[in-house]
Amino acid sequence: MRRLIALTCASALVLAACGTKGGGSDESGEGAGGVTTGVGVTDSEITLGVMTDQTGPFKNLSTGITHGNELWVEDVNAAGGVCDRQVKLEIVDHGYKADTAKTLYPQMEPKVLGFVQLVGSPIMAALGGDLEADEMTTTPASWSSELLGNPYVMIVGTTYDVEMIDGLSYLQEEGMISDGDTVGHIYIDGEYGANGLRGARYYAEQHDLKLREVKITSSDNDLTNIVTGLKGQGVKAILLTTTPTQTGSAAAANKALGLNVPILGNNPTFDPLLHDSPAAGALDQLYVVASSVPFSADIPKAQEVAQKYKDANFTAPPNAGVPYGYAVAEVWGTVLEKACENGDLTRAGVHQALEETTSAETGDLVAALDFSQPGAPATREVYVAQPDASVEGGMKYVKQLFEAEDAKNYKAPHEGQ
Amino acid sequence: MSEIATESPPTAPESPPSPVRRRGPMWWVRGALWLALLVLLLVLPLYLEAQWLRAGQYMMVGAVGAIGLTLLTGQAGQLSLAHAFFLLAGGTSYTVLSGSTEGGTLVGFGLDPLLSLVGAVVITALLGLAFAPVAGRLRGIYLGVASLALVFLGLYFGQAAETLTGGTSTGRSPTPFSLFGFEFSNEGDLEILNVPFRQAERLWYLFLALTAIAFLLARGAVRSRVGRSWRAVRDNEPAAAVMGVSVPRAKAGAFAVSSAYAGLAGVMTVLWFDILKPDESEFGTYGINVSIAFLAMVIIGGLGSVPGALVGALVVNGLPQVLALYSTDLGWFTGTGEGTFTPVLISSFVYGAAIILVVLFEPGGLAAIGRRIAGRLSFTQRGKE
Repeated sequence: MRRLIALTCASALVLAACGTKGGGSDESGEGAGGVTTGVGVTDSEITLGVMTDQTGPFKNLSTGITHGNELWVEDVNAAGGVCDRQVKLEIVDHGYKADTAKTLYPQMEPKVLGFVQLVGSPIMAALGGDLEADEMTTTPASWSSELLGNPYVMIVGTTYDVEMIDGLSYLQEEGMISDGDTVGHIYIDGEYGANGLRGARYYAEQHDLKLREVKITSSDNDLTNIVTGLKGQGVKAILLTTTPTQTGSAAAANKALGLNVPILGNNPTFDPLLHDSPAAGALDQLYVVASSVPFSADIPKAQEVAQKYKDANFTAPPNAGVPYGYAVAEVWGTVLEKACENGDLTRAGVHQALEETTSAETGDLVAALDFSQPGAPATREVYVAQPDASVEGGMKYVKQLFEAEDAKNYKAPHEGQ
Repeated sequence: MSEIATESPPTAPESPPSPVRRRGPMWWVRGALWLALLVLLLVLPLYLEAQWLRAGQYMMVGAVGAIGLTLLTGQAGQLSLAHAFFLLAGGTSYTVLSGSTEGGTLVGFGLDPLLSLVGAVVITALLGLAFAPVAGRLRGIYLGVASLALVFLGLYFGQAAETLTGGTSTGRSPTPFSLFGFEFSNEGDLEILNVPFRQAERLWYLFLALTAIAFLLARGAVRSRVGRSWRAVRDNEPAAAVMGVSVPRAKAGAFAVSSAYAGLAGVMTVLWFDILKPDESEFGTYGINVSIAFLAMVIIGGLGSVPGALVGALVVNGLPQVLALYSTDLGWFTGTGEGTFTPVLISSFVYGAAIILVVLFEPGGLAAIGRRIAGRLSFTQRGKE
């Protein structure tokens, strides 16, 4: 037995000596064009990561965003790339499973400069520490201001709390609610819902609104009894931080019960597929606030992206994820150009370039973005849109980019830390 | 459950039932194989990249939980769907016991991580014991449904007890595990044979040790008086009582032990994810899907078999991860858009098919196949003698 142990130990040592995986070699060095480069950047290529949900509950929106990213990459490469390098995307599907994402991350990490898309709040939570340790600038497909506590998170657009504040100001401006009214807020417990609620609470405090909070989970698909309850409490408006299916249910109940109050939703509450659902006829009271435009909005850049989407023959029905995905990638382009100018295309360089970016332009696909204040949303401007089955993408906007006074004064949870 | 269990006795006698314990050649072969496996597992971090280590650690998390469930369901005959709840309880206990009081919004005791780990296991065992009166009265599918209630309780608790869990919105970071000042995190520079030992490598050894302890304790329990009393209660309660086994005690004990295992798996889950984040819906890290995954592990592995539970965890927790890693390595299934096949989708098909195939063709699970192979080997061996 002892001989056996000795033998195995010896062989293990021999094995270990001849071919261990060895030390990492991610030291940065001087690359082409006098630019310092690091992980994910070669003399001819810049690789950006996409961790998306192609098979789970958020596959519609994620697919739109991915296609938007891809369209931009095609465009920028046709125009000569960024910093004389072609941009490449490394795309993986995690199916909205945090465990799969957690194992896939170390495989992606040595290949990419940053993440242009990372879908899912459980995934973002599980990877938060890794991203910070690796200095990985990341754009999550989530707009919660709680995420801004991580300095490497770059949120393209405004956050759910600010959306709610802007949206409520819009309702008040249009005379749909007034100070002292009762307002119901249905929200999914979690990062998304809690952040929307934070904004609603702030606005309610400023304007003496009586806020009726109803917490649900993302799998509650029939909200009839909740809307009935809100009707009994005499609400003047219903706020939603929910899934599109739940939005449909709330809108249908609003109509069927004869309540007919305006419904205000955060940007993920609407999906064009709602126009094919039984709730299609009940969507006229829905107002959606978002800092990115709906698909095929009436501005030149959005039309251009919509046209490209059609030409690319993607099979998925388009949604607001497409222009958003395009805009995010474009912001990344701006940041990378800046890093290139600074002569530092390493991860640290990208992070620095991000903090120096004070007005990223996307041709109005998203409001102009200012990343110079850590912890604060990059913009507080939103569009207000309403469902319209007759236009492509299913939404038309009713108010152009604006920033409410209350949103200006609002302090996000990690602002100024 | 019990039909399956009685058809194929879950624990075949491991050594020949001769009164004089002679160590035959098979014993040596078996020992050498186990030793080789251990050595292999010990040197793996020197060769495998971090992603493979993480996948391996996730399998070990599954293995510890599955061993607990196979003791309860396979050995003691109690169907439980509450495993995910005990996972959450264990993870939360560890985080609270070892955590600090941040900004007055969170409760934390700042205990030593090792003490917290033991504390978490004890707390979940007590929680399991508290559920024992229910477990003692119900059996079969009724117990399964009753235990399912705990998962929903866990969902509510995770969301409501924000001072403990950190809430669903942000979650709460657990204190990294450390043993006598050695941190199982990226802290400090440690290199062995030119391999930088960072969190992935360090956690590998921690998890390996925990899994080995869990495995040995379970084997010991199964082979001893405790295991015999569990099996007696499972097969026939009156007969067990006649033989002097206290039925309620055996049942409660099995539930507590199984919960303790799940609690340990919960601590490992939290350490693996680097975060304790309660679920936003019934499906998540501590949801029904996890309870069912554990059940799948013990069924694929063979009800009641401890090594089987290890293999079951390998299939259920490992397959999706390994498939995803491999296909990304090879550049397979990288399409985007509607109706594309991705590794995640394929692995759920494989996993479903594995359960159906096992239940249809080998209700005893992989353990039964293993036993048959081992039996044939030792038969030829004996023939030679």
